[in-house]
Amino acid sequence: MKRIFALLFVGLLVLSACSSGSGSEADADTNDIKVWAWDPNFNIKAMELAKTAYQEENSELNIEIIENAQDDIIQKLNTSLSSGTTKGLPNIVLIEDYRAQSFLQSYPDMFYAVDDSISTDDFAKYKIPTTSFEGKQYGVPFDSGVAGLYIRTDYLEEAGYSKDDLQNADWEKVIEIGKAVKEATGKQMITQDPKDLGLLRMMIQSSGAWYLDEDGVTPDIADNDALKEAFRLYKEMIDADLVKPHSDWSQFIAAINNGDISMVPSGNWITPSIKAEASQSGKWAVAPFPKLPGIESVNASNLGGSSWYVLNVPGKEKAAEFLGQTFGADVDYYQQFVEEVGGLGTYQPAAEGEAYQAEDEFFGGQKILSDFAAWTEEIPQVNYGLHTYVIEDILANEIQKYLDGEDLDTVLENAQSLAEQQAK
Amino acid sequence: MNIPDKLGPEKLAKKPAPRPARSLRLKNTMVGWSFVTLASLLIGIFYFFPMVQALILSFQSGSGVNLSFVGFENYIRLFQDPVFLTTVKNTVIYLIIQVPVMILLALFLSVVLNNKTLKWKGFFRTAIFLPCVTSLVAYSVVFKYLFAPDGIVNMTLMKINLVSEPIQWLTDPFWAKITIILAITWRWTGYNMIFYLSALQNVDRSIYEAAKIDGASAIQQFFKITIPMLKPIILFTSITSTIGTLQLFDEVMNITAGGPGNATMTISQYIYNLSFKYTPDFGYAATVSYAIVILIVIFSIIQFKAAGDKK
Repeated sequence: MKRIFALLFVGLLVLSACSSGSGSEADADTNDIKVWAWDPNFNIKAMELAKTAYQEENSELNIEIIENAQDDIIQKLNTSLSSGTTKGLPNIVLIEDYRAQSFLQSYPDMFYAVDDSISTDDFAKYKIPTTSFEGKQYGVPFDSGVAGLYIRTDYLEEAGYSKDDLQNADWEKVIEIGKAVKEATGKQMITQDPKDLGLLRMMIQSSGAWYLDEDGVTPDIADNDALKEAFRLYKEMIDADLVKPHSDWSQFIAAINNGDISMVPSGNWITPSIKAEASQSGKWAVAPFPKLPGIESVNASNLGGSSWYVLNVPGKEKAAEFLGQTFGADVDYYQQFVEEVGGLGTYQPAAEGEAYQAEDEFFGGQKILSDFAAWTEEIPQVNYGLHTYVIEDILANEIQKYLDGEDLDTVLENAQSLAEQQAK
Repeated sequence: MNIPDKLGPEKLAKKPAPRPARSLRLKNTMVGWSFVTLASLLIGIFYFFPMVQALILSFQSGSGVNLSFVGFENYIRLFQDPVFLTTVKNTVIYLIIQVPVMILLALFLSVVLNNKTLKWKGFFRTAIFLPCVTSLVAYSVVFKYLFAPDGIVNMTLMKINLVSEPIQWLTDPFWAKITIILAITWRWTGYNMIFYLSALQNVDRSIYEAAKIDGASAIQQFFKITIPMLKPIILFTSITSTIGTLQLFDEVMNITAGGPGNATMTISQYIYNLSFKYTPDFGYAATVSYAIVILIVIFSIIQFKAAGDKK
């Protein structure tokens, strides 16, 4: 009998041990600030610089930076926030702009507004709608995903073109050059993952359009002229065999570094990856992002980019204060960010700094940072809304049908009705 | 679990003194229940409670924590959701092509490796079983590189002049499915083979000898003796393989990420996308999970019926 009771007792202990973890008290005033971010060469480095800069004056704050893959961060946030427990969550988290609304709207009370810590007027305008919700500013805008067209000037020259031909150009012109370059060098124009429609996103944002209406909820696909034009151009490129397919990031970078392609339309954060191939120094240049032909559109767009968010957990005031003092006020910090990371912020007072005027030998002496900074100001403001990735998966599927010969309007109308069904 | 119960009354009833028998019976029952209680409690808390919770969740919808009850709307949405239907179609394609191919291959290999005169048996068995100990993610990543446009598979095919330009193993809707099927076949054939091998060891050699004396050919022996003898094991492996295929996730996620378009996406990956890639709708994701449960039940019933056994 004794043994049985001992067994039951042990069982009870095990069970109670399982449940006792959740009942600990909330430490309201902590000096330990945890940060989650991805990409050690970019975001993590940027955060470390900010930490060093801030701790010079506020040494009592203990900032711990933890690297997680972006997908892991999304999963952990979703599982923790939906279960209602904030235990194990960091104070500050980096969220990609395309996803920000999805988090802010899905977990309304879990984020802490930073209105008191930063002034939204200081930041590039296009960042604000995605980082705010119901009139409150939740995100501290971080890096710019300002897009450019990276070009291999040596390939272009072989076909009789120069970088000047791509100033304020539209996509028709780009495709014309791409065809000529392919003729002359045998190199395809761009490389593309059929599942990743970043190129289309950049194209439509350059004319101020998005997958969704301005309300950020209603799908805007069937009557979206910019999207229609982007689809048409994409097919034109595929049909002319200008697109080299890849299926993951390393193949993408390999195509660039091996010199397989003549152009890379992408966000400025691709710069370090392009420069990784030192032997190509002097052979690259960056042209403004091409316009959509025949539609109101500018030579500027955006791809990716993210912002910092403060979670509604103990230590939030200090976390917000830290972000405000560094990313929201420190011009010197942004100079360092440019010099040491090569990154571009969206804090506008920083753009006048000296570091932005540096000439880059890799890009034939072009002042790429000041160019990018200038383009950042022109990026049309759109509301990324809730459903970027749902709709993108629908479009990635539908665009295959269009490439296989189906009628464009039918394909887009189909995508519209699918999106209305799924995105709610 | 019910051994003490059964032993108790029958054996002890014959004993003359009722008092000690009663207390002994009580004691035995207590011992039995104390074992069962703990296990059932744990199973209840960690299996059935979440299952019921998920069922309740599947009648709710909304983004993140803003869930509200919608009745059967999720289940209606399921049948109108072309992505879900595509993922079911893909999964069924994997199932009806991959599972039979793998099981036949595993049967064939196990019979070959069961041959008494074969040398290096241990080596071959280990070699074929080895894929099963590799991590799902690790082997998926390796396959992704093998089948890349400039990967070793394409290079080899081109060098021996079988194809003139690289096959788009990962970005063409048809070939991407082939790649996934090849990958899971490589990973799981050895696993099933081991079951057949161990079953074959239990088949009496004299049956084969008798068959040989009667003049049965090797093929006849295979179909008339080996297959019937292995029938319960074949049923078992085909059911576990079916369940495994219906839950397929790691390979597709890592090799093609469901692409191109939705051409290789599985049901499990769709659940992942609904919860983590898109604006999270855990309610609808739970509904899709229950769809898998129902599919597994249906397929298992079909297989039991097809095998035609009382088991």
